[in-house]
Amino acid sequence: MWRWRLPGLLRAGGGPGGVAVPRAGLKKLTLPPDYSGITFPEKPKLKFLDKVPAVPKVQREPRRLRDIRGPSQVATDFIQGQYGILALGGGYLHWGHLEMIRLTIGRSIDPKSMFAVWRVPAPCKSVTRKSLGHRMGGGKGPIDHYVTAVKSGRLVVEVGGRCEFEEVRPFLARVAQKLPFPAIPVSRESLQEMRQEEEEKRLNNQNPWTFERVVTSNMLGMRKYLSPYDLRLKGRYWGKFFLKHRV
Amino acid sequence: GPGPVPVLSAAPAAWLPALQLLRRGSKAVTRHWKAMHFQRQKLLALTEYLPPRPALPPRCLPRDTPTAHQEDGYARVLRRQAEEVFRSSRMVAVCQYNSMPDEDLVTLQHYLRKHNIHVKFVLNEVVRPVLAQSKYRNLLPLFVCRNILLVSPETRAREMLRVLKRVPQVNLLGACIDDTILSRQGVENFARLPSLEASQGQTVGALSLLPSQTSSLLQQGPAHLTALLDEHIRRLRDTEGSTEPPPGQGTGNH
Repeated sequence: MWRWRLPGLLRAGGGPGGVAVPRAGLKKLTLPPDYSGITFPEKPKLKFLDKVPAVPKVQREPRRLRDIRGPSQVATDFIQGQYGILALGGGYLHWGHLEMIRLTIGRSIDPKSMFAVWRVPAPCKSVTRKSLGHRMGGGKGPIDHYVTAVKSGRLVVEVGGRCEFEEVRPFLARVAQKLPFPAIPVSRESLQEMRQEEEEKRLNNQNPWTFERVVTSNMLGMRKYLSPYDLRLKGRYWGKFFLKHRV
Repeated sequence: GPGPVPVLSAAPAAWLPALQLLRRGSKAVTRHWKAMHFQRQKLLALTEYLPPRPALPPRCLPRDTPTAHQEDGYARVLRRQAEEVFRSSRMVAVCQYNSMPDEDLVTLQHYLRKHNIHVKFVLNEVVRPVLAQSKYRNLLPLFVCRNILLVSPETRAREMLRVLKRVPQVNLLGACIDDTILSRQGVENFARLPSLEASQGQTVGALSLLPSQTSSLLQQGPAHLTALLDEHIRRLRDTEGSTEPPPGQGTGNH
């Protein structure tokens, strides 16, 4: 049963040592942030993406789940904006997701001072569905809807303008939570920090045995139980999932 | 069709996954978390990240003191103003300030201005370095809580105390009047003293008391003689009815 709880005691920076007494000091006057090098696109809001491409596909295409697997090679870095949503897993975005992103970001940004840019294309991969309740067989089903494939490490949208990360982060986090794959809001600096951290972890790993080393030299015949893709993925990916804790 | 398909290629057979593994289970990319082969789980457990462990944990090392933060231009300006205030005023009173309504504060400032006393709000972190380097080092213990300075080029302690008595939120802690540090009691005593002009007049009066008596002292002898002779003449005139006094007796003594 949920009960309304009072928030905990306010600890003004004290913690286990004691309670810090609030003190007034000289006001530190800081300069306002410099937004000089920012170029705005023609339309600040996100473009409407079609549910179905302008020329609908006649030939039904195979499933090709490898467009979800592994790290992304496209749209991994920022182009115009300063903040964005980074995908930490693979998945398909359909029109509902794209509309949700477009409307939420359109509601939350101020078009006079901020802008948003798509980093994923409109849905172009057709997905077929067989009608419910039928047995196997009878050929491939008709096209049901279209999706966009997103691999991990790809940016979905970019937001920029005269704003700070702290202003943008709340609504980007809300959008990121609703996506079918794990995603986080990032800024240029935070993405760089993440990459640096990964690199440091890789370098100061004390474990002499790494997945890459075992796979490349096929120690103990491990490749019998691993996929040839693991040579490239190096144990950081499993299916569409990205294992962030692995080095 | 179903069943394992023999592979005919130049690559060695070990390059391809074992066919028995391809046969069972789902595809490589699934929506659910696909169960891993136990050998793969063991490999992942073996090849996990081990963070570096220095011999001495960083919390045992001496914490490096935070580098002196950048000198703020604003703080420099305030410090210069404080130095100017201390240099130009004869009387500096340090008072504890508790928050009071704005209109009361304005009234207090108005009344003090009438006696040419200015109210200065100072921040301890600005004033302390100024005091430490100037000759007012002994005023440092007073600058602990929120305080204000009442500065004036004249020393009118009595009016200041009278105004401050009506304001309970401002408490006098100490003052430095004419390079003399006084406590609260000292300021009250100082206020009870007569003003400089009055005391100067008093001193001059005391010093000139004896010289003012010199002329009367010198004239005391002849004046006494004159009075005695006058008395004598009056008595003789009273008994003059019958006899005439002999002339030339009044001017006998010289």
